[in-house]
Amino acid sequence: MTIKYVFLVSRQGKLRLSKWYSTATAKQISKTIKEVSQLVLARKPKQCNFIEHRDTKVVYRKYASLYFIVGVELDDNELLILEFIHRYVECLDRYFGNVCELDLIFHFQKAYFVLDEMVMAGELQESSKRTVLRAIAQQDETETKENAERGWGDINDLVELLDKY
Amino acid sequence: MAPMKGLTVFIADLRKCRSNEEEERRVNKELANIRTKFKDPNLSGYNRKKYVCKLIYMSLLGYDINFGHREAVELISSSKYSEKQIGYLAVSLLLIENDDYARSVLSALRRDMHDPNEWIVCLALNAISNITIQRMAEILTEDIVVQLLSPAASVFTKKKAALCLLRLLRKFPDAVNAQRWAARIVPYLGHRDIGVTLAAASLVTALAQQFPDDTRKAASFAIRRLKSLVVDNEYPTDYVYYKVPAPWLQIKLLRLLQYYPAPESPELRSLLLSILRHIIDISQDVPRELQQMDAQYSILFEAINLGIHLDIDQGLMRECALLLGRFITSRETNVRYLGLETMAHLAAYIDTLEPVKAYQGVIIRSLRDRDVSVRRRALDLLYSMCDVDNARVIVSELLRHMAVSDAALREEMALKVAILTEKFATEYSWYVDVMMRLVSLAGDHMGDEVWHRIVQVILANEELQLYACKISLQTLKAPVCHESAFKVSAYVLGEFGHLIANTPDCAPVDQLKALQAKMGATSQAARAVALTTVGKFINLFPEIKTLCLRVLDRYRSALDAELQQRACEYYALGTVESEDLLPTVFEEMPPFPERQSALMSRLLKREADTEDQRTWVFGGREINRERKLQKPGNVSGGESTEDLDDAAARAQQLSDSDVQNSALLAAGGSGNEQAEAEDAGLTPEEHERVAKSKRHYARLLWESDGILYDGDEIQVGIVAQYKPPAGRIGVFLGNKSTAPICDIQVLVKSDSALAVQQATQDTPGSLLPLAQARLFFDVTCTRVFTTAPTLRVSYTVAGAPTVSELQLPVTMGHFIDPVTIPVGDFFARWKQLGDADIKEAQSVLRTPFLSDAAAVQWLRSVVGGMGFALIQGADPEPDNIVGVGIATTEVGGRFGCLLRVEPKPAHGLTRVTIRATSPDVARVIATNISMVFESR
Repeated sequence: MTIKYVFLVSRQGKLRLSKWYSTATAKQISKTIKEVSQLVLARKPKQCNFIEHRDTKVVYRKYASLYFIVGVELDDNELLILEFIHRYVECLDRYFGNVCELDLIFHFQKAYFVLDEMVMAGELQESSKRTVLRAIAQQDETETKENAERGWGDINDLVELLDKY
Repeated sequence: MAPMKGLTVFIADLRKCRSNEEEERRVNKELANIRTKFKDPNLSGYNRKKYVCKLIYMSLLGYDINFGHREAVELISSSKYSEKQIGYLAVSLLLIENDDYARSVLSALRRDMHDPNEWIVCLALNAISNITIQRMAEILTEDIVVQLLSPAASVFTKKKAALCLLRLLRKFPDAVNAQRWAARIVPYLGHRDIGVTLAAASLVTALAQQFPDDTRKAASFAIRRLKSLVVDNEYPTDYVYYKVPAPWLQIKLLRLLQYYPAPESPELRSLLLSILRHIIDISQDVPRELQQMDAQYSILFEAINLGIHLDIDQGLMRECALLLGRFITSRETNVRYLGLETMAHLAAYIDTLEPVKAYQGVIIRSLRDRDVSVRRRALDLLYSMCDVDNARVIVSELLRHMAVSDAALREEMALKVAILTEKFATEYSWYVDVMMRLVSLAGDHMGDEVWHRIVQVILANEELQLYACKISLQTLKAPVCHESAFKVSAYVLGEFGHLIANTPDCAPVDQLKALQAKMGATSQAARAVALTTVGKFINLFPEIKTLCLRVLDRYRSALDAELQQRACEYYALGTVESEDLLPTVFEEMPPFPERQSALMSRLLKREADTEDQRTWVFGGREINRERKLQKPGNVSGGESTEDLDDAAARAQQLSDSDVQNSALLAAGGSGNEQAEAEDAGLTPEEHERVAKSKRHYARLLWESDGILYDGDEIQVGIVAQYKPPAGRIGVFLGNKSTAPICDIQVLVKSDSALAVQQATQDTPGSLLPLAQARLFFDVTCTRVFTTAPTLRVSYTVAGAPTVSELQLPVTMGHFIDPVTIPVGDFFARWKQLGDADIKEAQSVLRTPFLSDAAAVQWLRSVVGGMGFALIQGADPEPDNIVGVGIATTEVGGRFGCLLRVEPKPAHGLTRVTIRATSPDVARVIATNISMVFESR
């Protein structure tokens, strides 16, 4: 399977995450996102999860209000890409604990990091939920420790908050 | 999780915004804030990370972020993991293309690759796979290979290193020097960790296509690994996905095996068959849970693909067809979709189509599926499974659906119908009927290729033409006539309208009226075609000439330049007083040379340009078989990449030539000349080449050395020395190509009156690029001869045998020695010889130069070069040149030759007269001189 891109859009067409594994310019990317979102959002529930867009096969699945969209090569194994999406959602679900769109908005960087543990260079890197989550847990632990060393960081945040209110 | 409060607050703020304007204001405020903060030299790493995160978020919302790159790069250089991580994320998402930043990213990456902390190394590997630049491939490949192969590296690092290499290999195949390490990756297919095996399998799949020999062991590794997963059930529970063991790895391995031929060892072969059998058996039961079903079926479809590729068990394939038959009627849309897709693959290979044909009805019904994706797959399958027996049914179904199908699908449908009809037509009338319906139905959704092709086919098949004419006229007379149908009809009537002219209601006037009636409502391109038809009508039907001219006359003032030009030109042709001009210009078009249909190339073009090459193509067992045959044993992925490229290039070429061709078609009659030139088999370049070698030859008629032939691969030079009746000819062979030339053979064939003997014994067998070889031939002129000997050079270059046959510049004229006679004697002898009129050869030649002085100079050197002594002052006219020579043969005697050249600059002509004691000698010299003049 060679994944060309992964992106997430809400039912309203808002982009929540976008990751490109093939070389493309910013313009091409935003054009693809726009076109494919339109195609996918127009699909009806009973239709299949695959649709062709130019020289790419688009595999998508809807979870609650969020569409997970993956572009792959024309002769890739669609069903398995579909199940990759599911596994990704499972990992997010386990990590956030009953994941919802808001989690992915407020912690978008984490959604990227989970994806990075699962896919690299457009190929599936890891399918074991446990292995993926272990890696993310370790990252979080490091970050917490590093944030604690920052000294004035919290205070800065407070100042920012005070500025606001 | 360690959330950053500032970021959370910012995102919450944005979410609270009620309108886009409000959001934009908030974003702008934040951007200003971040800009100020970034100016602070004491900005803490934490804050920098936070602000860069905010920038990333804003870019996700679609705002254009054009600063912060420096900060992102600074984060990468931080010693803290979390800051690095955000830095790399920002660099990959904000697409930083500035060279300076790329350089600092590169140096940070080099450092991180050698960090003692493997988490940092992994971060770097991930970053390399995201932001790949050539320099990275050059500098870092070595380090990455070490990470992958080192026993000290953890599985966590190894899998990332493998995929990182894959990315570099795909993007910069030349920079990574993959052959050096390819073979060492293969054993990782047997690694105990499934994550590592999966990553290695991806990498090996790419390597297998480039280095089939280095990775040839991969097949047996893959088979054994599959066996342990599928048959022996050996796997860690972590990797079970809804009761299916490691489906991603299974698929990867099944896919990898499709790049190799069926294993030769009986043990592996039966192992592989038992694995396939096992997979098919498991899939007989329908799993209840969706995820399990998807995973299980995805493996099944891949197994069927592999089975088709291996082509070793027809029984298994029939069973697959049965299983697929069940799938295409499934209630799950996904399963229907994949069932159709896989069946198309099966139909593209299987020996007999019967198992697939059993489902023809279901498949045709799938054309009406409510999902466009499924309809598309049904179309592919119908195209793949079509043969002579079911062509009529399938084509008529496709035509029926064309009217109601969506625009996206219609073009492809039209192409496929056109190809199938042409391929499987058994009756001419059927072909014409279908095509006319097709152009009317598909109409605007169809490329020009289709109607061009119809015209080509009709021109090439005489039996088709009468019927095509009838239908064309009917089409024009119908109340509605589509543009493309109009073009075809107009073209066909213009060419063959006379065939039906005697049928009632089809008289020339009727044809013209029908054409005229529809012409007004069509596009300019169509009207242009119609104008050409009217022009042809003038030629075909002189009785309606006035009517035709009236039509043309109206368009002589058309606004469109193309129409105006055509009308004016045809009008002028029609009114000019000449008997043969019109028939010549509007002569019947010759049939087009047979070549691959442009339709096919168009279809194939849709499938170029993927990263891993496809293991098969839709449409047609022939192509797939051919492909299989082309790569012996099916081994070499590398070779077949070339095949693909070739095919693409060929397709490109073909479509290019069709562009020219369509220009010809559109130009109608006026393209005739060009078409005829093509018929003679000579392209303009070839014409050019012939002219060039004529020039070379002519030059050697009066000069003793020079180039005789200058081709793309070889060059032939000549050095000649004569001592009549003998001479020695040196032939120089030079290799101009970049490949060695081998199997060189040189042979001189001559008239019996000229004895030729090779003086040097050895003809060199081969020539390296840019090398030269010399050969000497001794020639003796025994009697007068009139034909020059031929030099036959045969050789092989780059595997392609070539033969060049050249005329050697050795003529009777070369065996002439100059003779000086007293000035007064010349005209006495001239008269003497002139009395016997048969011995004179005279020609009047066009003088090929402008200045008189140069002309005289050149003439003198030609005459002198030909072996004549110039007799100054013998001719009363000072510009005239007279010369005397004597031709010597070994046994035939000697012959005196007198020559007189009279330039007439005022007329641009020169009269050349030769008188000799042998008429043959005179004629040869005259021919030589006229050749020299012509090629000057």
